[in-house]
Amino acid sequence: MLHIYCPYCEEMREEEEFSYSGEAHIARPTDPESLTDAQWGDYVFFRTNPRGLHHEMWNHAAGCRRYFNATRNTQTYEIHETYKMGEQPTVTGGKP
Amino acid sequence: MTNMHSPLHHIEVPASVAAAGVVMREDKYRGHLNLRGNPQDEAFTSAVAKTLGVALPTTPNSSAENGTTRVYWLCPNEWLLLVAEGTQGQVEADLRAALADQHIAITDLSSGQTLVNLSGANIDELMLKSAVYDCHPSNFPVSKVVQTTFAKTGAVIYKCADGSFDLVIRRSFSDYFFLWVADASEEYGLQVV
Repeated sequence: MLHIYCPYCEEMREEEEFSYSGEAHIARPTDPESLTDAQWGDYVFFRTNPRGLHHEMWNHAAGCRRYFNATRNTQTYEIHETYKMGEQPTVTGGKP
Repeated sequence: MTNMHSPLHHIEVPASVAAAGVVMREDKYRGHLNLRGNPQDEAFTSAVAKTLGVALPTTPNSSAENGTTRVYWLCPNEWLLLVAEGTQGQVEADLRAALADQHIAITDLSSGQTLVNLSGANIDELMLKSAVYDCHPSNFPVSKVVQTTFAKTGAVIYKCADGSFDLVIRRSFSDYFFLWVADASEEYGLQVV
């Protein structure tokens, strides 16, 4: 079981209370009309699947029901940080 | 009101146990109101405090109390108000009047959930095996509120001053909840009052 820090409840909670919600920081296109089908398909369907650090969204489903972001290592399952929506990660592994 | 049935009205009460380690009591027909609003907005917080007679708690997992009115922190902009039986309609109307032109939401959940008090000498053991959250006294001081799961079903758990726990559970899960409590407290003895 993972032990996850909820940035809104401000304490560690059991994984059972959370649900995973996919990749974080996907910007919605400001002008969807001008996108090609390939660009729109990329926005809607395609997600990164890195080996290592991954910025992803979690939902505290059984708790405060808020979405937040987490930086997790997909190889070791180590969660380096969790942070609120709208904030930027501090652990980036050298990448922006 | 003669046709009202509380969510746990149907349970079969086990024979009274002389030394019951767990005592369950349903706090029937309490008014449950869900309130949402912006805690950074002074107009919102002061109007609610004036109407309820108690300030909204803004610290995570905390609560506030004033007589029969209890306020639970649920998330940074959401609270659960537990008010005396039959007063929820008036409280809702008062809040709507006080918050007339503000961006808020009030939802009456009274018939959708119920309040159950669990007490007894073995209550800490029962919580230990039922909830994934650490309900040990060292981690769960009096008046703390935690939204978590209790035997897989969602629950809002509150620690009372006497060491017992108040759980807000959904009506549709009340039967499951009771069957779990009856099974889990078999080794201690269960008394339903």
